[in-house]
Amino acid sequence: MSVRADSGRGASAGGRSALRRVAPWLVGAAVLGLIAWRMVYLHSVNQNFNAAFFAGAAVRSLQLGSLYALIALGYTMVYGIIRLINFAHGEVFMVGAFAAFFLFSGTPYSWPVALLVAAVVAYGFMHFLGFFRVLGRPIVLGAALVAFVAVAVALASVRFGWLGAMVGSMFVTGVLGMTIDRVAYKPLRGAPRNSMLITAIAVSFFLQNFGILAFTNRQTPFRPPSFFTGGLTFQVGGETVFATWMIVLVPAVTLLLVAVLTTLVTRTRLGRAMRATSQDAETARMMGVDVDRVIASTFLLGSMLAAAAAVMWGMSFGSINQPAIFGILPGIKAFAAAVIGGIGSLPGAVIGGLLLGFLENFLTALFPRVGDFTGITEYKDTFAFLAMILILLLRPSGIVGEDLSEKV
Amino acid sequence: MLRIEAINKAFGGLQAISQLSLQVSKGEIVSVIGPNGAGKTTLFNLITGVYRPDTGRILFEGKQISGLKPNRIVDLGIARTFQNLRLFNNLSVLQNVLISQHHRLNTTWFASVLRTPGYMRQEREMHEVALEKLAFFGPRLMSFRLDQPVEVLSYANRRRTEMARAMATGARLLLLDEPSAGMNPSETAEITDIIRRMRDDGGYTIVLVEHKMNLVKDISDRVVVLDYGRKIAEGSYADVVNDPEVIEAYLGKRAAEQGAQLSGTAADL
Amino acid sequence: MPGTPDYGPRGVMLRRLLNVAAVIALVVVLFFVQSSGSVKLGQVFALFAIWGIATVSLNLINGVTGILSLGHHGFMLIGGYVTGLLMLPESARENLSFSARNSLSDLAIGLSVERWMNALGLDFLATPETIGVRFVIAALLGGLLAAVFGLIVGFPSLRLRGDYLAVVTFAFGEVIRLLASTPLMASYTNGALGFAGVPSQFGKSVWWTFGALALTVFVFARLKKGSYGRALQSIREDEIAAEAMGVNIAYHKVLAFIISAFFAGVAGGLWVSWVGTARLDLFLFTLTFYFLVAISVGGTGSITGALIGTVLVVWVRQYGDPLEQAYPLSTWLIAAGAVLVVAAALGWLYRRNRRLRPVANPFVIGAAVVGVLAALLALSGLLDAQLASRWQGFGMRAIALSVLLVVIMIFKPAGIMGRREFQWTWLLKDRKDVPTEEERRQDAWLHRGGDATAGSGAEE
Repeated sequence: MSVRADSGRGASAGGRSALRRVAPWLVGAAVLGLIAWRMVYLHSVNQNFNAAFFAGAAVRSLQLGSLYALIALGYTMVYGIIRLINFAHGEVFMVGAFAAFFLFSGTPYSWPVALLVAAVVAYGFMHFLGFFRVLGRPIVLGAALVAFVAVAVALASVRFGWLGAMVGSMFVTGVLGMTIDRVAYKPLRGAPRNSMLITAIAVSFFLQNFGILAFTNRQTPFRPPSFFTGGLTFQVGGETVFATWMIVLVPAVTLLLVAVLTTLVTRTRLGRAMRATSQDAETARMMGVDVDRVIASTFLLGSMLAAAAAVMWGMSFGSINQPAIFGILPGIKAFAAAVIGGIGSLPGAVIGGLLLGFLENFLTALFPRVGDFTGITEYKDTFAFLAMILILLLRPSGIVGEDLSEKV
Repeated sequence: MLRIEAINKAFGGLQAISQLSLQVSKGEIVSVIGPNGAGKTTLFNLITGVYRPDTGRILFEGKQISGLKPNRIVDLGIARTFQNLRLFNNLSVLQNVLISQHHRLNTTWFASVLRTPGYMRQEREMHEVALEKLAFFGPRLMSFRLDQPVEVLSYANRRRTEMARAMATGARLLLLDEPSAGMNPSETAEITDIIRRMRDDGGYTIVLVEHKMNLVKDISDRVVVLDYGRKIAEGSYADVVNDPEVIEAYLGKRAAEQGAQLSGTAADL
Repeated sequence: MPGTPDYGPRGVMLRRLLNVAAVIALVVVLFFVQSSGSVKLGQVFALFAIWGIATVSLNLINGVTGILSLGHHGFMLIGGYVTGLLMLPESARENLSFSARNSLSDLAIGLSVERWMNALGLDFLATPETIGVRFVIAALLGGLLAAVFGLIVGFPSLRLRGDYLAVVTFAFGEVIRLLASTPLMASYTNGALGFAGVPSQFGKSVWWTFGALALTVFVFARLKKGSYGRALQSIREDEIAAEAMGVNIAYHKVLAFIISAFFAGVAGGLWVSWVGTARLDLFLFTLTFYFLVAISVGGTGSITGALIGTVLVVWVRQYGDPLEQAYPLSTWLIAAGAVLVVAAALGWLYRRNRRLRPVANPFVIGAAVVGVLAALLALSGLLDAQLASRWQGFGMRAIALSVLLVVIMIFKPAGIMGRREFQWTWLLKDRKDVPTEEERRQDAWLHRGGDATAGSGAEE
């Protein structure tokens, strides 16, 4: 995963390596130059496209990019450990949004519902603690019992705000992620990769339709009472930029979560086991790592990040789309982000997410609807897919990824 | 027939092949030996186009083949077997041996759907060639085994199938990567005989990588010793095994100083 | 014919007779279907044939060549829209909605085969009687354009493999659909709304659809059995070995995509005709998912299996309505309980037959207990008031199919047929790869003492 030595790279670089090393920088510089030129051009055509306009686009890009980064981390962690493109990750994101929606819109709950949800959360809590090989000690059972009672009481009496809903839905998706792994992926360890991928698609389809069945089949407003969805204005070059406090909240929460995740992966026993498993699962197993638990915890962590992203996504845009399509586009774009950054690499996912956020927002800002030109908003998703195809074709190992070609 | 001129190949910091030159003439059986990691399989991968040499070039019958795609090199007349068996496991023995002749087919896919006379004639020829090559190994791959999937065969039979498959490509030069690996002594003796017959009756030129010294001793016209990607000795078997540098490579410096000898009975080094 | 099962000296004749008999039987069945008077039955049969074409063609990429391709709906979309546009009659333009009349350009309307035939002086092909010929032309052109896209989508397979390639094909499929809805293409596709009025007598006719299916099966069966089919299968088995044996990987992969896309385009044309409307939501990823289910259930790489799988998928789609209707909550609860109990029972049986200890798996017990409790709760009458409200099971069909797919992947990844094809020898009990007693004795003699390693293969 993230802390992989650089030795494996450039195995067949040979004589062209110098050009290869310089090329990305040249391309990057050229793109930046073109963007600057386009900005100047737009400004000269229409005074509305001033510094404030582009500053607004930039902060919104940071916001969107952070969300992509959070989702991309889930893809990249799972791929790094079991070499599976978890197609269902976008749907986990969707479930996270709806879980949060039901948490803040329906509370307080009736006692039977509260007990049921509390049981699920307490189970997830215990399952997670189990990774530290402390399960069965009275203190853990006591902690699980306390968690169960606390969650049940909270659900039945407290009205959840966005933060409570976010934390709650993180637990729900965490348990969901582990369940998906246990039910669908674990029986297929060692199976051909195509079988695993088809299973992942099936799970994704299941969740989409389960969402329609259990939640709703139409677009849903997502407005938890929160200070952060309120307006925020600031001045750039004498002009006012209008935004919401989400542009501060989203990057801040993302930074916090990524910091926690990085600490977890680099400093703890579990993290060391995860890195060992991503290098070589078989050897890790022989060295006494409980590989199945490591994989389950990977799913847990990735799914929790997806839920956090989902809640902030809903707050940023004010509504969430219907379950059948809500997960697909963010999911596939976040996957593209993970590929851009180099799949299997944690910093890569964050970089890729931010990059994709900037690209997407800046493209629409740079090619707006002017005169008889319809703008590229309609083509935005097409471009996202095309960009992913191009990246996969031109540089499948991404910015910081390693070479994954087969040995003879 | 095959001429390798000063090729180099590095993986990252590891120099897998350095300044290797080699010549194989028609009708020869050349053995390439050397300790593990000496670059023997890398040499095969370079000749067959899996890797491309960093510098130097490889000529086959006067034509440069380094840089060509593996399937083009097969077209020109070089085929190989793999050290750890790469058969098409779910397909039958016959299909395996037919696939390696596919590149010689000169009809379109649509002709194969319509089963035009031209296609059918070639298909029949392919079957005849397949049976002819399988017959090299006696009756054990014929009759009902023809239609059995390869994965149910014994290990030795799979090795034989892979050799038949390589022969059926129509190649004139065969590269055999450890043809006797996983075989017991009597099977090894048989495979030795078959390799010799492949040269004498089949007209193939053969380069083989092998660890079993008995086999090398029995059939090699010439032996080439590699160590750390360099050619450290070349010549007849007797010359090579007495070369101090070779003994050092295999047994270490002390042994070489004490005048140890590599004998044919120290079979598996 | 070598390579095919040995039918003995008179066997070839027998096989041909059996083939002819099977075709006659099929024709008789289709005749009864048509004359039965049930419109729905005829439509279901036609849909089976159309989706069968698509599944068999997808099987060439996914099953035979071993490349997971997820963009089949894109190929079908191209074939469908091209066929629809070419077949759109003059009268249908007046029936189009106002917005459609404005957004569909004159060029798009002018693309009708009828006009072209008139312009080319082939007036006899522009009469109402010859609409069938025009449909064939339109469907072939649709297939050809789809094949061009197959070429484009096939190129990434030269650089990528496995899961990355699957994602790229998926992205291509989506790009085709998204592009069709953009302003750029709206003058041909009328955006998301599409256009109605495509003649539907072809897609709904069992003769047309089954004719196309028979042709497809003929082509793919012979392709698979021939030298090209063997080469494609070798790519599936081991790409590196295939290349080392002279198979031109790049050419064959792209070839598989082109052939497959062509037939997918034809299937798309028939499907648009079956619906009577060209609409974007006919060509969602769901479509490819259905075909994927069909292939996986039937057996990856087997044409027979693909058709068996298609029967199942079409059956669920056309007769699965009861699953999605509104029932009282208590009914759902009982059904869920029954499903859980049956799943637990099957899981218990599976574990016992596979000797997986412990049989009393917590998941199995948990499922059974929850299932029994749910059913008891619904039956007890305790919550009658709350459970009386009706609840509609949107998406149940897709849920059932995706659960089925996961179960198949876990418990029987080879599918029903594996990679085998139906052969008459199954009925005649004559397999060539099973040794006779004589052959067994010869084999034992050959291997006496020799193959000590036989069957072990562990000495690598």
